[in-house]
Amino acid sequence: MSNSVHVYDARADHATVTAESPLAYSYQRSGMPAPGEASGEESCAVIGERAFLGHLILRGGAIVLDEALREVLGIGLPGRPNSLNVDAEGQRSVQWLSPDEWLLIVPGDETFGLETRLRAQLGGAHVAIVDVSAGQTLIELTGEAAHEVLMKSTVYDVDPHAFTVGKGVTTLFAKTSVILRRPDESRWELIVRRSFADYVYRWLLDAGEEYGIGVARESRHESQ
Amino acid sequence: MSQSASQPNRLTQGGQVDRTQALTFTFNGRSYTGHPGDTLASALLANGVDLVNRSFKYSRPRGIVAAGAEEPNAVVQLGATEATQVPNVRATQQALYDGLVARSTNGWPDAQRDMMRWIGKLGGPFMPPGFYYKTFMAPASMWMTYEKYIRKTAGLGRSPTQPDPDIYDHMHRHCDLLVVGAGPAGLSAALTAARAGARVLLCDEQETMGGSLLDTRETLDDQPAAQWLKTTLAALAEHDNVTLLPRTTAHGYHDHHFVTLHERRTEHLGDSAPSQAGHRQPRSRLHRVRAGQVILATGAHERPLVYANNDVPGNLLAGAVSTYIRRYGVAPGHKLVLSTSNDHAYRAALDWKEAGREVVAIVDARTAPEGDLVAQAKAAGIRVITGSAVLEAKGEQRVSAARVAAIDVDAFKVTGKVETLACDTIASSGGYSPVIHLASHTGARPVWNDAIIGFVPSTVAGVAATGAARGVYPLGEVLADGVEAGTNAATALGFAASVDDADLPRVASRHEGSACALFEIPHEKATLRAPKQFVDLQNDVTAAAIDVATREGFESIEHVKRYTAMGFGTDQGKLGNINGMAVAARCLGQSIPETGTTVFRPNYTPVTFGAIVGRHCRELFDPERYTPMQAWHVARGAEFEDVGQWKRPWYYPRKRTDGGLESMAEAVARECRAVREGVGILDASTLGKIDIQGPDAREFLGRIYTNKWQKLAPGRVRYGLMCGDDGMVMDDGTTSCLAENHFLMTTTTGNAAPVLEWLELWHQTEWPELEVYFNSVTDHWATMTVTGPEARKLLTDLTDIDLDREAFKFMDWREGHVAGVPARVFRISFTGELAFEINVQAHYAMHVWDALFARGEAFDLTPYGTETMHVLRAEKGFIIVGQDTDGSVTPEDLGMHWAIGYDKPFPWVGKRALTRSDTRRDGRKQLVGLKPKDPGVVLEEGAQIVFEPNHAIPMPMVGHVTSSYYSPTLESGFALAVVKGGHQRMGESVYLPMADGRVHEAEIVGTQFVDPKGERQHV
Repeated sequence: MSNSVHVYDARADHATVTAESPLAYSYQRSGMPAPGEASGEESCAVIGERAFLGHLILRGGAIVLDEALREVLGIGLPGRPNSLNVDAEGQRSVQWLSPDEWLLIVPGDETFGLETRLRAQLGGAHVAIVDVSAGQTLIELTGEAAHEVLMKSTVYDVDPHAFTVGKGVTTLFAKTSVILRRPDESRWELIVRRSFADYVYRWLLDAGEEYGIGVARESRHESQ
Repeated sequence: MSQSASQPNRLTQGGQVDRTQALTFTFNGRSYTGHPGDTLASALLANGVDLVNRSFKYSRPRGIVAAGAEEPNAVVQLGATEATQVPNVRATQQALYDGLVARSTNGWPDAQRDMMRWIGKLGGPFMPPGFYYKTFMAPASMWMTYEKYIRKTAGLGRSPTQPDPDIYDHMHRHCDLLVVGAGPAGLSAALTAARAGARVLLCDEQETMGGSLLDTRETLDDQPAAQWLKTTLAALAEHDNVTLLPRTTAHGYHDHHFVTLHERRTEHLGDSAPSQAGHRQPRSRLHRVRAGQVILATGAHERPLVYANNDVPGNLLAGAVSTYIRRYGVAPGHKLVLSTSNDHAYRAALDWKEAGREVVAIVDARTAPEGDLVAQAKAAGIRVITGSAVLEAKGEQRVSAARVAAIDVDAFKVTGKVETLACDTIASSGGYSPVIHLASHTGARPVWNDAIIGFVPSTVAGVAATGAARGVYPLGEVLADGVEAGTNAATALGFAASVDDADLPRVASRHEGSACALFEIPHEKATLRAPKQFVDLQNDVTAAAIDVATREGFESIEHVKRYTAMGFGTDQGKLGNINGMAVAARCLGQSIPETGTTVFRPNYTPVTFGAIVGRHCRELFDPERYTPMQAWHVARGAEFEDVGQWKRPWYYPRKRTDGGLESMAEAVARECRAVREGVGILDASTLGKIDIQGPDAREFLGRIYTNKWQKLAPGRVRYGLMCGDDGMVMDDGTTSCLAENHFLMTTTTGNAAPVLEWLELWHQTEWPELEVYFNSVTDHWATMTVTGPEARKLLTDLTDIDLDREAFKFMDWREGHVAGVPARVFRISFTGELAFEINVQAHYAMHVWDALFARGEAFDLTPYGTETMHVLRAEKGFIIVGQDTDGSVTPEDLGMHWAIGYDKPFPWVGKRALTRSDTRRDGRKQLVGLKPKDPGVVLEEGAQIVFEPNHAIPMPMVGHVTSSYYSPTLESGFALAVVKGGHQRMGESVYLPMADGRVHEAEIVGTQFVDPKGERQHV
């Protein structure tokens, strides 16, 4: 690995250091209504944060990055714009963001190892790998009314026939922007900038109110 | 049929109202009852309420005229409480609910004792068109006063003074095909396209879908039309590619098939939206639809005839009479005279007679009407007077008679003797006007069609009108036309569809005689002298007014519209425009197509502000961006300042010993002293941070910054200044060399996104050959600045980094741990004191922050906000881009020659502009310090500066104050300012004349007030 780039593991030991997700303040201030709390019925929309995942931005040429990624992670870059590849366990994904930009999401404790191995694999190729794990968070949205909640929030066509599984876009969401994607039939994922996360959280609770939106208490922290 | 006692005009049978349930409502303070299925208008008519409003200009009594969106008079103010007031509701479109409260919008102080009625009576000669322009324009300064009272008497409703209890929202929809209008054409179009597989959105503005099928006399497959309607709606509902939106008005057609729909979700249920299963429901919803194709099946509005006193209550549209009888079971009178130019209107007389009421006569302008409906009327024993029309209605509060005479339509003359027919209701029909409003919104001009005597829409690509909306009126043809439109749209969208697939219902054929073109009925007196003949009832525009406008030289129909107010406002010319054009055409001696139409504009009917705003209000009005320490700042009682969308702590007022809270000045003074004498801490996480990687990163920095970057070694930090290509300062900040090909740039808080875009712009458009990537890491890193003489001592025990002043110099950065968290620490200073900026992943910000405060207790670690930051940096002469600069300030104007590398090999952005004569000239405004002669004075930011305080006004202004504060360190006010040629005027006095007459004197000094040699930051 070349030392022309400063690579270091900025992730702390979660056993000894208290980590706060980008929604920590929101849970405290706006609360976490349980799914179906108000109606006593099954909630038609549920959100849940998947905190502390590893988020890496990859910049560079598609061919070298694709080869390196296949070698190191076992999945390649998605072949088309506005789409994502997910690995067999559903734990690692890579999404097209722009012609020379992809978002890699992996379990949090794999982040630095992956970056190191990727850099080694890429050798002297002109690429950039940037850790943005603490700069954003992933919110899952599920339930029958998930589609309606999204229709209230984004101008993008989220009709399940138009927004097929495997699609992922960066788009306007209320008055901010999010990365919106559909990894499987039952789930939508929103990737939100940390400083805007509270706004998005409050917006989602508000937009989902008529469907009895709730917050999944057991947010799946892949690795802490 | 007989009538019910409480609702004198309610028929005992017929219509789609539920007579078993009574709904109570209040209109103008009186209580009435109606039934589910009623509109407010049908319920008012059922109760015999003739007077629903006063007219806009003449204050004449007005009654209900129509049964739909085109109603010009029955515009009411709705709402039982102050908070739920809704203005501009058409009673014809408002479903009745129990407890509904409505008032007339016009008539001040109230509809019965109306201030304006005397003016209205005198009316005519005193209120010509342009009356308000002519009467109230002088003096111009008084217009605002006049306008307030004119507005009050004119009514138009009022907005609530209390907060709306309801919520509203938006929904973004996409579809292959949007069909506007669920009458026979829209239904068959939607069903055809849905069967072909298209994603179809069908909206309709009425309570129930069906359009004309809801009150037609015709049958489909020998069944009442309602049967086919029911089957068709059920078939549509079965398609999961179809979305049905009843109570939804398409009110605006914007570019690229973007159509906005206003869905009234709960307006039929009550004053305020009921909650459902404990959840709040939006009262109204604005759908923002992006459609592949659009079909406008918006139907047609019947045109009333223009005759004298045609505004007296009891004058109705012929079609409305049928609708009230057939759909609502209400006969709005007892003795009917029908004035018509066409066959279709005859159904009103037939319905009236079948309801058991008396038809006095049908007055038909045609000399020899001959259609099937005419024959039916004659067979029913109804008197038909041909070649004639109603010239004038008699009566004040209600029609008492119709004056009828033979007329010559072409010569515009009354030719026969006038016969007066006693009646209480006059129904009129001058034919139909296709509803072309939405098509007009696209900019497509409508085209006159002689065959249907009306304008039909021309449409832009991807839009088609169908059925009555394009002048196709017979039911059978309408259904077929809808199928064709649906097929064409589906085909255009790439779906396989054929008109042969449709199974159209059988419609009994009916012979219809041709109509005659009739708009304005001649009177024995000339138009200018005849009793008022209203063209636009809502805006009180008469045929005479249009006549006068043309005589005064207004020949363009757009000018006539503006001079007379025809088709203004919420009405948008639904009933009156075509008649108005016909009158103008007659007066100008030209044809209607030559006269043309005015432009119909959005919105088709009024949309509440709630629906327009949606959820972008109150706490969701705009995003608030928070740092990871937001909860701590709130708990600490910080006051916040908005910096872009960020909330930044402004200052942290503490409790004083007397129990009160510190003022801002007290808090800032305390925070300043803490940093200068002890140690303070700032949450600087909002600073923009851009990660720059690539072999050409250094070269790129050299081209985008004014200063040099070639020799910055890894581990070092440098201040950088960025200019626009105009040579003016656009941003500044520090950039650290993390490794040979790796830099971390910081930007000002507000410029983080623009600077990233700026870098990408130059990289992508000018220097794509440079191998470099930029990525925002603003949110990833939390930044805390620990600064003050005690900063090193505080940090020593918390970090494994060697803080020795020689090992870790000013403008160095080091990697290590702080409080057990991996961190980068930068020795940079915006306060002039010893400072360490700690960057950690934002997840751990609070962990580190808490650890700093735990350790900091011994040092009285003081959190400080942006105000203290500003004072401290200004004492050091550090600029804030956007405060001390305004887009017209060069680096040299700031005295920052040291940050300009004129001899760099590659011409950096802004260099060329800095050699222009204007940027090189003498007398540019330059940044200097100002020391007020009176140390107690804090100059006003923005205050203008003059050299000669006794100069006559206008005084030559030579600059202004950009930053000004009180310095607890200096125990004096001080300021930064730009002054013409300021750098050459050190020690001179300048003057600042204030609005209150005081003139402050200040001395021009250097910009560094504290520690001018910069020794403290190096300790």
